[in-house]
Amino acid sequence: MKKLFALLLAAMMIVSLAACNNSASEQSQAPDPGQSDGAQNTAAPGGSSDPITLTLWGAEEDQDLLAQLVEEFKAEYSDYTFDIQIGVQSESTAKDTILTDVEAGADVYAFASDQLTDLVAAGALLALDDTMDQVLQSYTGKTLDEIMSANSAGSVEVSTYEDTLYAFPFSADGYFMFYDPTYISAEQAQSWDTLLDAAEAAGKRVGMTLASGWYNAGFFYGAGFTTTLNADGTTVIDWNGTSADGITGVQVTQGMLGIASHPAFLAIADGDVSNQINSGSLAAVISGCWDSSTAEANFGDDYVACKLPTFTCGDQQVQTGSVASYKLMGVNPYAENTGWAMLLAEFLTNEQSQVTRFEQRALAPTNANASSDPSVAANKGVAGLAEQSAYAVVQTVGQRFWDPTASFGEQIAQGTIASDDASVQAALDSLVEGVNSAIE
Amino acid sequence: MNESASAVGYGGKVKRSISAFFGAIGSFFADFGRAAAKGDAFVKLSLIWWGAGYLRRKQFVKALIMTLLEVGVILFSIFFASQYVPKFNTLGTVQAEQIFNMQTMQMEWNDYDHSFMILLFSLFSFVVWFVALVVWMKNTVNVYRLQLAAERGKHINSFAEDVKTYLDKKFHITLLSLPVLGIVIFTVIPILLLVFVAFTNYDQNHMPPNSLFTWVGLDNFVSLLGGGGLTVTFGYAFVRVLGWTLVWAFFSTLTTYFGGILLSLLLNSKLTRGSRFWRLLFVITIAVPQFVSLLLVSNMFSNNGIINTLCSNVGLTDFLRNAGLISTSYIPFLSAPGWAHVMIIFINIWIGVPYQMLIATGVLGNLPVDQLESARIDGANKTQTFRYITMPYLLQVTAPSLVTDFVKNINNFNVIYLLTDRTFVTTNQAMANSQAREVDLLVTWLFRLTQDYYNYKMAAVIGIMVFIVCAVFTLIAFNFIIRGDKEGVYQ
Repeated sequence: MKKLFALLLAAMMIVSLAACNNSASEQSQAPDPGQSDGAQNTAAPGGSSDPITLTLWGAEEDQDLLAQLVEEFKAEYSDYTFDIQIGVQSESTAKDTILTDVEAGADVYAFASDQLTDLVAAGALLALDDTMDQVLQSYTGKTLDEIMSANSAGSVEVSTYEDTLYAFPFSADGYFMFYDPTYISAEQAQSWDTLLDAAEAAGKRVGMTLASGWYNAGFFYGAGFTTTLNADGTTVIDWNGTSADGITGVQVTQGMLGIASHPAFLAIADGDVSNQINSGSLAAVISGCWDSSTAEANFGDDYVACKLPTFTCGDQQVQTGSVASYKLMGVNPYAENTGWAMLLAEFLTNEQSQVTRFEQRALAPTNANASSDPSVAANKGVAGLAEQSAYAVVQTVGQRFWDPTASFGEQIAQGTIASDDASVQAALDSLVEGVNSAIE
Repeated sequence: MNESASAVGYGGKVKRSISAFFGAIGSFFADFGRAAAKGDAFVKLSLIWWGAGYLRRKQFVKALIMTLLEVGVILFSIFFASQYVPKFNTLGTVQAEQIFNMQTMQMEWNDYDHSFMILLFSLFSFVVWFVALVVWMKNTVNVYRLQLAAERGKHINSFAEDVKTYLDKKFHITLLSLPVLGIVIFTVIPILLLVFVAFTNYDQNHMPPNSLFTWVGLDNFVSLLGGGGLTVTFGYAFVRVLGWTLVWAFFSTLTTYFGGILLSLLLNSKLTRGSRFWRLLFVITIAVPQFVSLLLVSNMFSNNGIINTLCSNVGLTDFLRNAGLISTSYIPFLSAPGWAHVMIIFINIWIGVPYQMLIATGVLGNLPVDQLESARIDGANKTQTFRYITMPYLLQVTAPSLVTDFVKNINNFNVIYLLTDRTFVTTNQAMANSQAREVDLLVTWLFRLTQDYYNYKMAAVIGIMVFIVCAVFTLIAFNFIIRGDKEGVYQ
C-alpha cells in the first residue's frame, strides 16, 4: 500500500510541475486567455507593412476558383498586403465545424442558407449593420442597400435574420425536376399522375427524396402552408390544419401517399440521388444543379430541366412547391481582421465573382446582372431552377424541424401511414407537436 | 458447496481490499498529524516553507526543488487559477460585446467570460490544488522521518543517492509516473469535465463564447428520466434506446463468442482440410478496415442497393409482400426497425467472429492434453469432451474478455453508425422528436446530439448513464463469471 502511495505521490509531483510549466507558458502567450485574441490591439492598421491575415473556407470543388478570386481580391486592394489562407470545408457541414469552436473558425466561410439561424444564434456570423455599411462605402463605393437590391429577393431574404443582413448570397441552390424526353413528354411532365404513369409504361421510375424536411416540405408549401421561426429558436408549422389556400394538411399528405404508393415511384434516401440516377432505372428525378452533369450523362444531351409537376390534393391539381435555398458567404465576428474579412466576403460574392463562379462551376448566380448573362440563361439546370423559383419558398426553421419531418417523409415512403383521414390527421398532429416543441 | 465457499472467499477479498484502502488513507492522515505535532521547529516550518526540513538535514537540492514547487503552485494560483476559480459558482456573468474600430478595421471585444474555459480551467486548478495538498502533507511526513532518522544517527541520503534509488529500488515509480500523468490529464480531467457539464445548461442556446451557460442542478437528469419540465419524449426515447443497447450488447457478444468458438473448432478439426487457408480467409475480414467493409455492406443492403435488386429479380420481394411481411417495394434490410435490428446483429457476426476465432484458436491450442487423453481412455465421446472439458476451460480462460466484449459492444459505435446512419430514418414520430432512432445505441444517440444538435448537457447526462450501465454490468459480471479461485481447478 505504501508503495502504491509513493507511486501516486511521484505522479502527482510531476503533474504539479507540469501544471506550473503550463501556466507559465500560458501567461507569456496571452495575458488574458479569456480574451479571444490578446494581440489584436497591437495589430497594425491597414496600409502598414504587416500583412493582413485572413482565413477562408470553401467547398473542395471551389478551391481553384477561390484561389483565383483571392488573387483578384489582392489585385483590387493592391495598396495593402494580405496573407490569405484557403481551407476546405463543405458548405453543407460548415455549421458543424464552425460551431465546434467559433473562435478557431475561419474568418470568411461559405455555408448553406438553412444553417443561417443556428449560426446567428451561436454568434458565429457578423451582423452587416450600419458600421459595416460605412466600411463598405468607404472601400468599395457600394452601399449595403445596393448590394441587397443587386441580388435576388429570395437570396437576400434567407441572408436576413430579424431585419439584419448576416451574409452575402452568391449562388442559388434549390431543387427542380430532370427528366429523360425519350420516355416522358412535356405534357406528361406537368402532373405527378401522368408522369408516374408514363414512367411505368416505359418500365422506368421517378425518383425523389422523401425522408428530408427540405424536399417533402415542398408539397406543403405548394398547398400554401408555411413554416415560421420564433425568436427563441422554436419552429412553428401548421401542417395539420388548413392552409391559406383552403387545402387541408390531410389532403396534401394523401396526395403524397398517392405518389409514394405508385409502383413507378422510387423513394431515394437523402444523399443517394446521384447514385440512383447512375443506376439507369430512372426516367425522371427531383434534384438540383449539382446533379446536372449526372442527369446529362444518363438522360442524354437532350435532357430536360423544368419545374416540379402538380399533384392531386382532394379534387384539384396543386403545383408542387420547393425550398428556395442559397449558398451564402459569412464573416466570423471573432476574425482578427473583421473589416477586411467582410470586404473579402463581399468581393467573393460580387457580380464579377458570380460570373466567374458560373463559368467555372456552372452554379446559378443570385446577382440579377450575372443571371441575365446570356450564357447563364442558356444553362439548362439554371433555367430549370429559375422556372421552379416562382414556386419556391424561403424556409426558415429551427433545429427541431429536421428529424420529425425526415421521419414523416419516411413514413410516407414506407407507407406506414394509412390513407384514411383519421390516421393521416393523427400522423400530422404528432409531426406538428414534434416540430413545434421547445428546445431542451 | 465449493461455489459458496469461493463466493465467501471472494467477498472477503473485496472487503479486505476496501478496508485496506481506507486504512491507508487513515494512516496517511495519522502520519501527517503525528509529523505536524511531534516534529521539531524545522518540520513545523515545512508546513509553510516546504523546503525547510530538507534544508535542516542538508538535502539542499531537495529543499530547492520543494521550494520551487511551492513557488510554482503559488504563482499558478495567483496568475492562472484566480482568473477562473472565483467565477466557478456562476460560470461567468460578463456577456461578450463587440465594437468595431474603423481605424484598425478590427473588432474590439470587452473582457467577456467564457463559461467553458471557466469550467475547464477551474477543474484543472482543483486537480492541481488537490495534488499540491497531498504533496504538502507527504512532504511533512517525509521531513519528520528525516528528523527521526537523524535523531537515531542513521545515514541520510544525498540527492545523488536518492536519484539512484529511483533507478534501482524504486524503479517502478520512475516507470509508472508517465502513464499515471497521462491518465490524469487525458482521462480523469475529461471525465470530471463531462460530469460537471451534465449539471449545466450547455446547449445550442448557451454556446460560449457568444453566450454563457450556468449550473442547473439535476434538471437534465430529471428530463432524461421523463420527469417532465422539458419534453416527455426524451424519457420515452431513452428507455427504448437503452433497451436496444442492452439487447444488442447481449446478442452481439453471445453470437460472435460462440460463432468464433464453433468456427475455430471446425478449423481445428482433423477432418478439415487446408485449415490454414480457411483461417486466412476469415482473418482477411480483419485486415480490411471496418469502416470500409461496413459502408460497403450498408450500401449493398440499402433500399435500392444490390441485394434488394437481386431479391426483387428472383421474386423474393414480391413473395414477402404477398405474405404480408413487408409493405414496401423493397426489403427494408436496414431501414425498418425489426429488420434492421436483426440485420445489424447478423452483419456484426461476420465482422466479429474472426476476432473471437483467433482468441479461441489460441486457447484451444493450450487445452490440457492429459485431461483430454484420460477422457478419451474413460470412453467419453466428442460431445461429452467438448461439454465437460473444452467448453469449461474456454469459458474460464476467456471470461474476462467476454465481459470486456460486452462493455465494448454497449459502446460499439462503428457498426451501428456506419451501417444505419445513411439508411435508417425512424418512422416513430416520438423517437424522431428526441433525435433518436430505434437502432441507436446510447453512444450513437449521444454522438448525434452533440454533433448535430450541440446538446452537450444531455449528451453528458447520457454519457454518465452509459458509464453507470457499463460499471454495473462489469461489476456483476466479474463477480459472477470470474470467481476468485477458479484457476486452481485446472492446475
